[in-house]
Amino acid sequence: MSLTKVYDAATVLKHLNGIINVYKPAGMKVHQVRTAILANICKGLNEMNVREPRKLPEEMRLLGTGTAADTVLHKISSDTDLSDHVLAAGPRYIPQDCRIAPVASLGVHTSGVCLFGLNAGLRQSSRIQRNRPIRIYHVTGRMGIATESHLPGSHITVRAKHGHVSADRISALASSMQASHQRKMYELCGVDLQTQAAYELACKGPLRPTNNSQPVIYSLKLIHFERPNFTLEVHAINESEDYLAALVHDMALELRTVAHCAQLRCIRHAHFDVTDSLLRHGWHLPGIIKNLRQQREILKSHPQLLNQQRVDLYANQNTA
Amino acid sequence: MLKTVRNVAAIPQLTRQYTAKAKRSVLLQDTKKIKDYEPKLSKKAGHRVYVWGFQETGALGLQTDVKKAKERYTEMVHHPTRLQFSDNTDISDVATGYGFTAYAVQRSDGETLFGCGLNTDSQLGFQVKGNPKDPANLDVIIYPTAIRLPRENGETDDDMQVLSMSAGRAHLVVVTRNGTVFTLGNNSYGQCGRSIIDEERYSGSALVHRISQADICGEDDEIVSVECGQDHTMFLTKLGRVYTCGWGADGQTGQGNYHTAGKITRIAGDIEKERIVHLACASDCVLALNEGGDVFGWGNSEYGQLDDSENAQTQINTPRALTLTKGIGKIKSVAAGGSFCMALNTEGLVYTWGYGILGFGPFVEQTSKPQHLLPPLFGRNDFSNATTVVSIGCGVFHMGAVNSDGDLFMWGKNRFGHLGLGHKKDQFFPFKTAINGKAIKVSYGVDHTVALCRPYI
Repeated sequence: MSLTKVYDAATVLKHLNGIINVYKPAGMKVHQVRTAILANICKGLNEMNVREPRKLPEEMRLLGTGTAADTVLHKISSDTDLSDHVLAAGPRYIPQDCRIAPVASLGVHTSGVCLFGLNAGLRQSSRIQRNRPIRIYHVTGRMGIATESHLPGSHITVRAKHGHVSADRISALASSMQASHQRKMYELCGVDLQTQAAYELACKGPLRPTNNSQPVIYSLKLIHFERPNFTLEVHAINESEDYLAALVHDMALELRTVAHCAQLRCIRHAHFDVTDSLLRHGWHLPGIIKNLRQQREILKSHPQLLNQQRVDLYANQNTA
Repeated sequence: MLKTVRNVAAIPQLTRQYTAKAKRSVLLQDTKKIKDYEPKLSKKAGHRVYVWGFQETGALGLQTDVKKAKERYTEMVHHPTRLQFSDNTDISDVATGYGFTAYAVQRSDGETLFGCGLNTDSQLGFQVKGNPKDPANLDVIIYPTAIRLPRENGETDDDMQVLSMSAGRAHLVVVTRNGTVFTLGNNSYGQCGRSIIDEERYSGSALVHRISQADICGEDDEIVSVECGQDHTMFLTKLGRVYTCGWGADGQTGQGNYHTAGKITRIAGDIEKERIVHLACASDCVLALNEGGDVFGWGNSEYGQLDDSENAQTQINTPRALTLTKGIGKIKSVAAGGSFCMALNTEGLVYTWGYGILGFGPFVEQTSKPQHLLPPLFGRNDFSNATTVVSIGCGVFHMGAVNSDGDLFMWGKNRFGHLGLGHKKDQFFPFKTAINGKAIKVSYGVDHTVALCRPYI
């Protein structure tokens, strides 16, 4: 198939279906990201070749004023419906023409991978949502200061020293919390522990929860430590920003200090990686279309993202 | 398309942005009034002990009030619970018997051994209360109390530090650092290493038998560890020799006969020329491991634990090299329970065989060939793919394994809540026990479990 350049906005809109992977900046709500993307799509579409104004029917032509001396009215073609002109009716494409919904919501303080379903891609997005794939976060905690909401930008409640906390202490605690969470997932996956089925599931490894009521953490690893900050890599399902922030707070209490969550970044959602994520300066129509195409490739190579029946979970690179 | 044109985010806002009230209040917060949190830090290298299981015997040592200990719903502790005693005492070793627990401690006041639980046979020493002229004997001790080891002249606190200890049904054997063996409790089968006295009264007895290691293994060898079965005792020396005494009805003393023996004797059989490094026994089936990773066994083999061939003897009274464990690699550790055995090889795979809950789900009750449990059961998965099992152990009815992350996994019968899972239902495959610390040593009793842990901070 030869590539042809498309100038027509309607053709572009017809093909705006699928999943896009947007890098959500911190401090911006998902709703704001959604509005901005919609606006940019409309802006891009309106800059392309849009539909001409309708023609008036033969019997309803505009009546000329008759004088050739009137230079303005003389140039109006009498068969154009002026009420349908862009200047009268407004832009051809407005945000309501395009449907867009996030796969999972990220909190205000979280940055990183945020997936949106576009138009017909809404179906895919709700399927991904129902499959509950793993999300990977890099969570940075700042020791010494506790805040009211465990996140930055709220009242400081307590201060504490943290000289006794070392990297191996944090990793030790993290590995134990990881094991406890992996144990918890048996309670959440809905199997009776005294059955053969439970044994068979246990032999396979981690399980996915049956509903999205309870957060489950699959992996908790310390990846960076530089006093007073430490960064954890968290693999989780059903988590929320508040939950991760509370996790950092609880870990700090366990470590006999206090901390708040200084930074949250989602680096991966299922197979959608942060490296393919669309940065804010790329939130324009060509960028979105290019991103749509990339995500379509990912979906094609991992069909189980849309259709997953198993209760067991594989978190390696090939399946998720 | 006569829809109203909406203002969208693409148009820059030119209005002035005011500070929100919430943000203003954060900015105006008086930082001088913020309180400082000064937590109590645990002492460096201090160990923590978690206990769970049957409490009515007092073996957990959690109760401090006799009245409270008799209340309803206190007979079991379903969740691992931190032992208060371990917070102010540095515990270095634990040993569990049938309804009692012994703690090896390091204290400035010179006491080296503590115990709690059943004391019906004076297995925790002479413990009385009330007027010393008319003392009331304590059959149940609910909180760890000092067990006085009789000292000979010139023995220092350091000499009396516990090197190794083990407990059986109603006896406790302690080896101290200077090589002295102390035995306490029931000696009706000679398990205390002294001759049997007919109709000896063990309750309220102040007798602590003292044996010098030279009397057991001679001057050129020394005792490194002791292991008790139900009613017998085994000593392991530095040169890898095994000495036993006690009840031998199932051949568990390995002395080549089925008699009870009050005299500590070196046993031979297949282990005569081997250097044994590890002994394991919970009731009457014994496993031994040599330097090269080969397994030997003797004692009860009713469930084919030691020999799975047809017409195999159900009792083996002489140590025998096991053919069962050939072909599962070099063995690192072994454990023997009431009706099952387990082994850990150098690859970190746990093998179990025998009869009972072996960890293969509810349908597998018996297997005479050792089979390994899959690594995901012990915490190995895609998220932590280097995790292996580092130590194993078992009680009479339950088994356990500790992995390289220090997590304890347990499975087996759970009638007394001794798996620490929060209920009394049996567990058919390894399941993580919630302990707040890294398990260093776990001691599996018959109805309770004690874990010695290192805190995270």
